[in-house]
Amino acid sequence: MKTRVFGESVGMALRSIRGSAARSFLTTLGVLIGAASLIALTALGNGASLAVEESLKSLGSNLLIVYSGQPRGTALVRRNTSNIVPTLTAEDLEAIAALDLVAVTSPESSASAQAKFENRNSSVTVVGTDSKYPAVRNHYPAAGEFFGEAEVDSRRMVAALGSKAAVDLLGTEVDPIGAKIRLNGLPFTVVAVMESKGNDMTDAQVWVPISSFLRSVSGGTKYAALNVQAVDMGLMREAQAAIEAELLRLHKLPSMDAADFYVANQLDVLGAAQGTAGTFTLLLGGIAAISLVVGGIGIMNIMLVSVTERTREIGVRMALGAKPGNVLVQFLVEAVVLSVSGGLLGIAAGVAAAWAFSRFGGMAASVSPGSIALAFLFSLATGLFFGGYPAFRASRLDPIEALRYE
Amino acid sequence: MEAGGIPVMRLKDIKRHYVMGPTTVRALDGVSMDVDKGEFVSIIGPSGSGKSSLMNIIGCLDTPTDGTYRINGESVEGLSRNRLADIRNREIGFIFQSFNLLPRLDALANVELPLIYAGLAKRERREKAADLLEKVGLGGRGHHLPAELSGGQRQRVAIARALAGNPSVLLADEPTGALDQKTGAEILAMFAELHAEGATIILVTHDPGIARSADRVVRILDGLVVADGPAGEAA
Ligand SMILES: Nc1ncnc2c1ncn2[C@@H]1O[C@H](COP(=O)(O)OP(=O)(O)OP(=O)(O)O)[C@@H](O)[C@H]1O
Ligand SMILES: [Mg+2]
Repeated sequence: MKTRVFGESVGMALRSIRGSAARSFLTTLGVLIGAASLIALTALGNGASLAVEESLKSLGSNLLIVYSGQPRGTALVRRNTSNIVPTLTAEDLEAIAALDLVAVTSPESSASAQAKFENRNSSVTVVGTDSKYPAVRNHYPAAGEFFGEAEVDSRRMVAALGSKAAVDLLGTEVDPIGAKIRLNGLPFTVVAVMESKGNDMTDAQVWVPISSFLRSVSGGTKYAALNVQAVDMGLMREAQAAIEAELLRLHKLPSMDAADFYVANQLDVLGAAQGTAGTFTLLLGGIAAISLVVGGIGIMNIMLVSVTERTREIGVRMALGAKPGNVLVQFLVEAVVLSVSGGLLGIAAGVAAAWAFSRFGGMAASVSPGSIALAFLFSLATGLFFGGYPAFRASRLDPIEALRYE
Repeated sequence: MEAGGIPVMRLKDIKRHYVMGPTTVRALDGVSMDVDKGEFVSIIGPSGSGKSSLMNIIGCLDTPTDGTYRINGESVEGLSRNRLADIRNREIGFIFQSFNLLPRLDALANVELPLIYAGLAKRERREKAADLLEKVGLGGRGHHLPAELSGGQRQRVAIARALAGNPSVLLADEPTGALDQKTGAEILAMFAELHAEGATIILVTHDPGIARSADRVVRILDGLVVADGPAGEAA
């Protein structure tokens, strides 16, 4: 009997909403926009987070980077090694390479330099490294061959160009392999062009043997950073601890607080980046939630107007036997039907907007099922919460007062 | 309940006072009367004498300031809002001067309203509502909205609605007040017919001519019953 009266309430709500279609649509617009922005904005946030994950994966697997110096504010993010005062030595590198948890290592120092080919000039970042760089960073030549151990040992003046650096410097007409270029005036022969990483900063770099780099470009004997590949993804933390212990011992330092190096763990980098993306998603979600609340206030407003307009109807229903609960349910259902239909339309609009963002806007957008569920629940809760007070007011009306209302 | 002569309604010393700031309006000031099953009673009196106040109390829309009121032997004093709603639903059939049909519902749906709150299934409601519309002579107008019906037709829908819950008593407050004479006479004929079939009716009017169509006339003045007897005498 209860459910029958309830089912009747839904029918009455739908009739009443159909009876004032334009006003009902305008009322649901707030919730519609709220739900749509919740879906679309969190899709953008998600997309950004997935993109970060994707680009970090391309860094190379199981990667740890030992940097010279103390961590700075953005310590976890990949740093440009050109402004680092190097503190890491060839002995450090050898000792780390010998650790059980370490698979491959390669040193890295960098500096900005003027590159020249015939009469073309361009600014590049020159990175000094060794033959194991491609393996450690998961970055291989697209043409030619990366310099090997022999070239590093004999300080050969050879260079591997990033895909963008190659085009910027040589253009597309010249065969890059064997081309003679100058870096800060010194002659280098191009031996390889690297595959694109989809990242302009990396793709505009030029790699040379670390030995040649130290002698001809930067001077000194120390490395700015060491790239280290751990043997296993699951042992990254252990590998990091082992490296820290080993370097503290070699540098004769008591603890990491006093260290002249630090280890950036790819997991931390990923975590930090995802954390940022997560905050972003949360923020966008918050904006959407606020607009849902505004939509809810719109519903409350229209429901209060509706209760006032229909005071006489409420009186008639009460005279015919409607209990306070029947009246409460009738108006509550009406508010929920309004907010949920706004929510469903909003979900459809949000999914469409996310699709349009990624299709035409070139943005990464990924609609999560969770955000759809959230938008639905939010719109339902909005109707219940903001419809509750007007419905309660309606149910408390005095039958005669209501009947006498003009 | 029918046996043993328990009156359908028994009012004893009913008072209804409205406190308006410093003054108190004594709309009802000690009304006592019984209405038996099958009686057709009209209540007559000048404007402001307390007729509507009395009907509201009889219809359980309002509660008296003082006095006792029993419907079929049950006192309504201190009943919850839910219980009062049940009584209105089952025992009372209201017919208003201004019809009070819900404008967005068609005639059938209006007649169904009390049946919804009685918890009847959709099909049963439909059938019953259609039968009642037939009975009041509106068989073909079930899907007309109130705005598409004449005043007399609207009041017939309202009568069908009042009959829907098989109430113990029909309460009509100036049911012909908004109708022309001819249409009013048709509605009164319908009351007479219902009365002949055994319905208990209480009808409020200020027109002595209309009052005479009842068996018994109760005359009210300033919240007090000043005459109560067969139609011939009191009117
Ligand atoms: N809600 C109220 N608040 C204050 N006074 C009221 C209220 N309802 C009725 N009254 C007063 O009670 C008295 C009786 O009113 P009531 O409506 O019962 O008269 P009536 O006999 O139905 O009159 P009419 O023939 O004009 O309908 C009047 O003086 C009226 O002003
Ligand atoms: Mg009156």
